[in-house]
Amino acid sequence: MKPSIPAAASDFAARLRSEIVPELTGFRANNVAMGSAMIDMIAEEFDRAAARLFEENEAVRALLQRDAALVDGVAAPDAPAKPDLRVSVLQAENDLLRSALIDLQTALETRNDGDASALDDDIWRELAQSVERRRIASANF
Amino acid sequence: MKALTAEDMAAYLAARFPDWRNIRIDGLHRLPLGASRETYRFDLSYEDMNGAHSDKLILRRDPPVSNVDSDRNHEYSSYRAIHGHGIAVPRMILLEEDPGPMGGAISIAEDLRGFHNSEYQLQEPAWRDKLPHIAEQMWGTMGRLAAVPVEDLDLDFMVPATPETTAMQELDFWEATLDKNDVGPEPITRAAIRWLRRNPPPPAQKLAMVHGDFRAGNFLYDDDGNLIAVLDWEMAHRGDPLEDLAWSLARVFSFGKDDRRSGIAPRADAIRIWEAASGLTADPEALHWWELLNCVKGQGIWNSCAHAWTTTSGEREVIHAYAAWWLRNAQDRAILELMGHL
Repeated sequence: MKPSIPAAASDFAARLRSEIVPELTGFRANNVAMGSAMIDMIAEEFDRAAARLFEENEAVRALLQRDAALVDGVAAPDAPAKPDLRVSVLQAENDLLRSALIDLQTALETRNDGDASALDDDIWRELAQSVERRRIASANF
Repeated sequence: MKALTAEDMAAYLAARFPDWRNIRIDGLHRLPLGASRETYRFDLSYEDMNGAHSDKLILRRDPPVSNVDSDRNHEYSSYRAIHGHGIAVPRMILLEEDPGPMGGAISIAEDLRGFHNSEYQLQEPAWRDKLPHIAEQMWGTMGRLAAVPVEDLDLDFMVPATPETTAMQELDFWEATLDKNDVGPEPITRAAIRWLRRNPPPPAQKLAMVHGDFRAGNFLYDDDGNLIAVLDWEMAHRGDPLEDLAWSLARVFSFGKDDRRSGIAPRADAIRIWEAASGLTADPEALHWWELLNCVKGQGIWNSCAHAWTTTSGEREVIHAYAAWWLRNAQDRAILELMGHL
């Protein structure tokens, strides 16, 4: 689409704030203000959503595959035979992978050896990177 | 959901108070307050055997789906319990638990008009010099709430708790809330829950009435920054007073997007004021536990917002989607910071 979706969405959000919100009061003004902030978040997320999910899915899958020799019963879900980069498909895969990651981290926490500790450290590093990938410009933190 | 109208309101009051005559409802409109309940403002006038009356009132109505597991009776009773014990709150006037007449359970309270409650306004340059005073007012009031002898309050409607049980009770509640409102795997929040279970805090120094959502945005203040009344008691419960302090220090409520907590004061100042007012000590390790617990609580609420949006139709509130989008990742970042992984 041209103009680019992030650019058009950001402009539309700004117009809502500057032209529409001042014409409203109370609950309705607040709803439109929140709506404009959400459009800004959509603009931010639109371009990066597939890339961050793809990157994260690769990273989590690698962590899960590393555990094969360490932890019984926690396996990485199979990678899709044919890559599908629709955000909904990537998100579904992400849910499966992050669910397995919870199981893996829970299992690692019961152990007290160097290999488990090293893998746990790497999981935390990936989780820290994941929040940076998902970070929203308007967030308080 | 049934629209709230002045006609329905007048008819309800006429049925509830048969000796009232010439009941008139003016200026009924919804206020942009909170994500969990509908809040309306209106003027009421009527006559009875004592003459003519005119009141400015606030009505809160329970929606069919909320992001907070509470009800009208709980908040109404919480306000009534703390009223008269040194913590300024609006006077409660009426509770109707039957959802039939008004399309949902309602409570009516006095409307303290002419004051501010915006947490964002406090970030404007005109308020900067007043922030130290507002900090004293906010955390001073929170400390005084912590000091109120819980035995003096009628809290029979609340779940029982002891200094020894409150921490795990709260963790159990919020973990169950996350389970009930699952919107996808949460590795960071789940890791925090496991850490909290492995590292329980010491028993509470005392049991207190915990407000449950004491932060900028949930109290009224005047032009000079004096705190006029504490609002939004729907999550009030018996518990460890450190829980309120920890909630007010949450990163997700740093509305100035800096180190000032609640967008008002540095963390150390907030703790100092609270300790002086409460006469209690904010043990750093215990406070850390409660800050992390409150991250789980926050994520429970934000996920409930997302869940409410995905499980309802036609009753959706914009704020539920907005809050979930805006807060869930920030809450994860706050957990990582507290656990030393950011």
